[in-house]
Amino acid sequence: MESAYLALVLNAHMPFVKRPEFPRFLEERWLFEAISETYLPLLRVFRSLEADSVPFRLSLSISPTLAAMLGDKAMGDRYVAYLDAQLALGEAELSRVGGDPAFEPLARMYRDLYRADKDDFQDLYGRDILGAFDYFYKKGRIELMTSCATHAFLPIFRDCREAVTSQIETAIISHRKIFGKQPLGFWLPNLGWYPGVGEVLRSYNAQYTIVTTKGALLGEPTPARGSFAPVECPSGLSVFVRDLGATQAVWSESSGYPADPVYRDFYRDIGFDLPIDYLRSHLEDSGSRIFTGFKYWAVTGRTELKRPYDPAAAAAKAVEHAARFLAERTASAESSAALLDRPPIMVCPFDAELFGHWWFEGLAFLEALFRRAALCPLRLVSLGEYLKDYPVNQVSQPEYSSWGDGGFGEVWLDGSNDWIYRHASKAVERMSELAERFPDESGLRERILNQASREVLLSMCSDWALLMRAGKSSAFARRQVEEPIANFGRIYDMLCSNTVSTEWLTRLEKRDNLFPSINYRMFRRKR
Amino acid sequence: MDELYSLADRTGLDLPPGLERLFVIEEILDTLEEDSEDRRESRGDAVHVDEKKYFGLSAGDYDLDPGPGEVLAKRYNETMIRAIARDPSWAFAYWDVSDADLESMRGDESSAGLFLRVAELGSAEPRGSAAESRNPADEAHKDFFDIPVADLDSQWYINLPRSGVRFRIDLCARRGGPAGKIKVLARSNEVESPRQGIASPPESLSAEARELLALSGVEDLSFYPEGDSNPLRLLPSGFARPSNRAD
Repeated sequence: MESAYLALVLNAHMPFVKRPEFPRFLEERWLFEAISETYLPLLRVFRSLEADSVPFRLSLSISPTLAAMLGDKAMGDRYVAYLDAQLALGEAELSRVGGDPAFEPLARMYRDLYRADKDDFQDLYGRDILGAFDYFYKKGRIELMTSCATHAFLPIFRDCREAVTSQIETAIISHRKIFGKQPLGFWLPNLGWYPGVGEVLRSYNAQYTIVTTKGALLGEPTPARGSFAPVECPSGLSVFVRDLGATQAVWSESSGYPADPVYRDFYRDIGFDLPIDYLRSHLEDSGSRIFTGFKYWAVTGRTELKRPYDPAAAAAKAVEHAARFLAERTASAESSAALLDRPPIMVCPFDAELFGHWWFEGLAFLEALFRRAALCPLRLVSLGEYLKDYPVNQVSQPEYSSWGDGGFGEVWLDGSNDWIYRHASKAVERMSELAERFPDESGLRERILNQASREVLLSMCSDWALLMRAGKSSAFARRQVEEPIANFGRIYDMLCSNTVSTEWLTRLEKRDNLFPSINYRMFRRKR
Repeated sequence: MDELYSLADRTGLDLPPGLERLFVIEEILDTLEEDSEDRRESRGDAVHVDEKKYFGLSAGDYDLDPGPGEVLAKRYNETMIRAIARDPSWAFAYWDVSDADLESMRGDESSAGLFLRVAELGSAEPRGSAAESRNPADEAHKDFFDIPVADLDSQWYINLPRSGVRFRIDLCARRGGPAGKIKVLARSNEVESPRQGIASPPESLSAEARELLALSGVEDLSFYPEGDSNPLRLLPSGFARPSNRAD
C-alpha cells in the first residue's frame, strides 16, 4: 500500500487555426510555438526518463483540434517552413551577438533548440508527433485522455443536449481512430462541469474527469475526503478533484514558481526590442512586430532593467522548485493521511503549454519532479491506475464550476462574447433539424451534412470567447466564430433550396478538414 | 434606496446617507468591478496562462472577410427566449420576437409593452429526470419578479435573488395597462443558479471531514454566504466588463 499518490495531468490543446489559403498565417504560429517549445521538448523529457529507467507517470489530454492539426500533412509542411525560418533567425542572431559572453550562448541555445526540434520532427518521428505520444501511451508511461471536439465550454450549452453530445461523441470517436483505444478519461475544457454532464460522459463510456476544488467542495453531499479522493457522480463517472495547493504553486502569476526572478522573461523578445529593419525578413508579410521566441532576459523583478538570462541558474532553480513542490505535496499528504481511510491522492492538472512555452524552464521542472518523485514517498500515478486500486468512492454531485476567473462561467459569458451563443445554439438547433430531415443521406448530400457538422462544432470553441474577453486577437477571434456560423448558414440555405455549390464546399472541406470520420447523424435529437 | 444601501453594505461599502441614487449604483458597480479584478488576480491564473498561448498575435492585416452573403444574421425572426446561468448571481437571457408577433402587438392599442417574468422554481434539487417530472402546479406559488424591457432590447444580464435554485424566464406582453392581461410569448429553459455555499451543514460532517475540507483549501475559496435577496436584479447587458480593460 502506498502512503500517498500524486497525479500530474496535462491538457495539450490548440484551437483549429489552419488557414492554407494564406502563404503564412500568423495564428498558425500558436501551434508551431507550442510544438517547438512544449510538445517536442516534452517528448525529449520522456525519452530521457525512459533512457534512465525512471518510472514516470502522466495523464495527458490531447484535444481533438490539436490532434487534427498535428496529424495534418499540410500543417506539417508549414511547420517545417516555420522551423527553417527560426533557424535562419538563429543564425542571424549568432552573427549579431557573436562574441558577447552573455548573449551569444543564448542565441546558440535557441538555434540548437530549433535544430533539435527539426531533427526530432523530421527524422526521429517522421513528422508523426501523435505517434510519438502513442509510443509512451502503449508502454503505459502516459495515459492519454481526450477532450471536447472543439474545446466547447459545456455549461453554457447544458440545455442543448445535442451540442454537448456532439462535442463528446466526436472527441471519443476521433481519439479511438487516432490511438486505437477508448479513452478512459475526458478532460472537460476549462474544467467546465455542470450537474448532468457526468451522465452524458458516462453514456459514452468515459470513466473519469477532473473538476476544480471549488466545484467538488460545493457538491452535494459535501465530499467527506475533501480534495484527497475522487467522488463518484450518480451516473457512476469518477470525478477527480484538483489540488488547490499544487495549483497555486505553479499557476500563480505573481507568486508561483514561474515568477521567480531567475527564470526567463516571456515578454522581453527581440521581436519587440530590435530595429524593425533587422527583423523585417523574419517577420510575417505584414511587417508587424511579433514574438519571435528569442528572449534573452530574466524575469529579474518588476523593473525594466532586466538581467541577462542565465540558463544554468534557471535550470538549478527548476530542480529546486521541483524539490519544493514534492516536499509541499508530501507534507500535505502527511497531514491528510492521518484523517483518511486510504492514501490521499493529489491531482495536479495544468495546461501543457504552461511548460516550455510560457514557463520556459517548466519542462526541466517536470523532468526533475519525475526523477525526484522516484525517491520520495509519493507514488506518481495516472488517474486510470488509481481507479483500479480504488474503484469505489463517495457518491457526490459536483456543482457547476470552471477554473476560470470567479470559478463559474463569467470568462466565457460576458459583454464581449455573449453574442456567440444566440448563433451557435441556433446552428446546433438547425443542424439537428437537418439531421432529422435527412437521416439517411449518402454521396454529395452526406458530404454537405458532415461539413455542416464540422462548422457547427467549430462555432462552439471556447478559446475565441476567452480571447474576446481578454481583448487579445479579438478581431481574429470574432471571425473564427462568425465564419463557421456563416458557413453553416450557407449550407443550411443550400439544403433548404436544394442548390449546392460544390466548388465552395470542396474548398471548405479542404480547409476545415478536421474529424474525417464525422457523422452528421449524431445531431439527431436524443430520444 | 434602502435596498441599494443594503446592497452597498453587503459589498463592503460604507456610504454616508443622502447620496444620489445614481451615485450609489456607480459605487456598487465600481466595487463589483474591483472585486472582479481581485478575483482575477487571485483565482483566474489558469485562464491567464491560456491567454499566453495566444499572446502578441493579431490577424488585423489578413483579409478574413467571410465574403458576400455570409454576414451573420442579427436575429432569426422567431419568438423565443433562452437563459444561461453564468454564476450564482447572474443569468444571461436573450430573446427575439418575430416580426409577425411584433406587428400584432403594435396593432393592439391596449398593448403595454414587453417584460420578463423571472420565476423561481425552487431548489436546484432534484436534478435530471426527476426534475423533468415535476408537476407544474407545484411551481405556481413560487416567487417571481418582473423586468420591463424595450421592444428593441434582445438580451439582459439578470441578477438572480438567490443561488442554488432553479429559475425560468418568461417573455411576456402586457395588455391594457399595468394591471392588464399578460400573454406569455415565450418560455425559457430552466436555469440553475449554482450553489455558493457548502451543501452539507458543518455539524453533519465529522471532525475529520471538516479538517480535510480545511486542508483542501475550503477557506481560500471565497464561498460567499447566502444573501436574503438582492435588489439589483437587473443590469444592462455588458455591465462590469473586465474584458474592456487592458491586461
